[in-house]
Amino acid sequence: MASLVIDNVKKRYGNTSVLKGIDIAIEAGEFLILVGPSGCGKSTLMNAIAGLEDVTEGRILIDDQDVTFSSPKDRDIAMVFQSYALYPNMTVAENIAFGLEMRKVPKTEREQEVQRVAELLQISHLLNRKPSQLSGGQRQRVAMGRALARRPQLYLFDEPLSNLDAKLRVEMRTEIKKLHQKLKTTIVYVTHDQIEAMTLADRIAVMKDGEVQQLGTPQEIYDNPANLFVAGFMGSPAMNFIPAKVIESGNTIMLELTTNTIETPTTINTIETPTRLPFPNAESLQSHIGKEVLLGLRPEMITEPQPHKAGLEFTVNSHVNVDVVEPMGADTMMITRIGNNEVNCRCHPSYNMVVGATCEVMFDTSKAVAFDIESGQRLD
Amino acid sequence: MTNVSLSTRPQKSMVATSLRIALYTVLLSVAALYLLPFAIMLITSLKDVEEIRTGTLLSLPSTLDFSAWGKAWSSACTGSTCDGIAPFFTNSFQIVVPAVIISTVLGALNGYVLSMWKFRGSEIFFAALLIGCFIPFQVILLPMARTLGWLGIANTTSGLVFVHVVYGIAFTTLFFRNFYQAIPSELVKAARLDGAGFFTIFRRIILPLSTPIIVVTIIWQFTQIWNDFLFGVAFSGFDTQPVTVALNNLVNTSFGGKEYNVDMAAAIMAALPTLIVYVLAGKYFVRGLTAGAVKG
Repeated sequence: MASLVIDNVKKRYGNTSVLKGIDIAIEAGEFLILVGPSGCGKSTLMNAIAGLEDVTEGRILIDDQDVTFSSPKDRDIAMVFQSYALYPNMTVAENIAFGLEMRKVPKTEREQEVQRVAELLQISHLLNRKPSQLSGGQRQRVAMGRALARRPQLYLFDEPLSNLDAKLRVEMRTEIKKLHQKLKTTIVYVTHDQIEAMTLADRIAVMKDGEVQQLGTPQEIYDNPANLFVAGFMGSPAMNFIPAKVIESGNTIMLELTTNTIETPTTINTIETPTRLPFPNAESLQSHIGKEVLLGLRPEMITEPQPHKAGLEFTVNSHVNVDVVEPMGADTMMITRIGNNEVNCRCHPSYNMVVGATCEVMFDTSKAVAFDIESGQRLD
Repeated sequence: MTNVSLSTRPQKSMVATSLRIALYTVLLSVAALYLLPFAIMLITSLKDVEEIRTGTLLSLPSTLDFSAWGKAWSSACTGSTCDGIAPFFTNSFQIVVPAVIISTVLGALNGYVLSMWKFRGSEIFFAALLIGCFIPFQVILLPMARTLGWLGIANTTSGLVFVHVVYGIAFTTLFFRNFYQAIPSELVKAARLDGAGFFTIFRRIILPLSTPIIVVTIIWQFTQIWNDFLFGVAFSGFDTQPVTVALNNLVNTSFGGKEYNVDMAAAIMAALPTLIVYVLAGKYFVRGLTAGAVKG
């Protein structure tokens, strides 16, 4: 297993910059996930690591060796592609053995290795089939088998699960995680699925427009997003962004937001109720007193009033209108509006919410974050 | 409700049947129209000269007389020699076989590079190559004659092979490039990471997928080169003439009366190889031409 250092890597096509100086370093055995919307440069970065595309500037080091200008075969990397890229004219066994054959491994050793990998991935019964005779999940396994057979220093996964149906995707996700725990391999994994990123990664690099927006553990990224983009990208449903005014009340700085409630179901008069919320890192908002900011609050932090949290430092109860109710089994998502923004609240299924009426919710701001409305940067 | 449907059903099927009859009538008559010239050639080749003069085009021969075929093959006069078209068959094969093989191999390599190993300007290169498909034969006659002379292969079989390879590369490259365009480039990426080189990837991964397009290219090139007359007549020497040129000479050489039966027999024989290639590989031709047009 090897460490990987990406040192100020830039990639330009003519005048368009696809990678604008990427710096990432991961330890041997680490599972790094590159995540971001399409066109953010994550696949280009992957190809650059593999050596399939040249970089314009910067260095790539695998196990402290500079491989920036090495050809793909000399980097000792294996890659699993989104389309699996199995050789259609070869059987599963030949597919798995091809890399070994190219590296002049003797036949008997190749056969042993194919057996080992096939048992590991439970595809022993498929070895004599052609890729066209396999289902999507089986092809996926064969593609992983082909990568595992060579025991390379570094594994690259390019959206390996995105061609599978939802159920299989979850199964294979767990399988990949188990495999990583068992083999302790260094993995770089590209996905646009933020749940895959959260569940699999040791560390996540969130990318946008050719730049790493934030690099951190899944929990760091979830709890402490560096900017509005990262906050909105990770988590499902996404973090709520609520316009709020920074005010000084007594000695403490608080956030004031306005919830609309309908007085009775028969009238259309709305009552604007100002709600004042405490903020954990309030001093950092000092310079914004009197201005509007965006309050970032995860859906699970707006719930039905919970008795055990009542009276805590960062909990405040308020009333909101119920616009939509979406039961999800374990929770019920309630959607309301605060200001002009839709807000998701994660409530207990037994909590009584009637569409069109008001209900009481509890805001828990202990993990709240605040962003600048213009720049989208974190303020606290 | 049931009454209505019962009464309309026979009517409906009657319309369908008459449409079907009309369709088959049209198809059969068009097929007959296409087959008629060949039928006349066949009938005429089996008659003797006397019968041709007295009978009509479509009247059947009174006896099956294959002597015209024998004469056309081995003793009819083509210009100053009288050995039939047999020696020119050999000439044609000596031109066609290497020209087809070389142009197909080069086309496959070109197509492989232009679709899987794109380089700066490769699209422009391909577009320029495509223009080669649209250059009329006559335009290159003089420059090609000079080139062949300069290369020292004028009037030789190798010279004709060279001309056909050069002229064929545009087409074969187009065929292979478009076929390979539909093969995911990730196959090549995967093979490169597996440690395979340029030619290994071509031989082990790309070529095994190419059977349909190889068949298409071979049929196309075989037909084009076998049927070529202009290059044959312009660039061949006296003893390297292809069969198309010999056929022309045979028809134009006459002592006394025209031997239509010999002409027809020779023409059928000259056309036979391309016909056989079509019959043997025709299904691949249709399949290969449509392959890649629709994905999946």
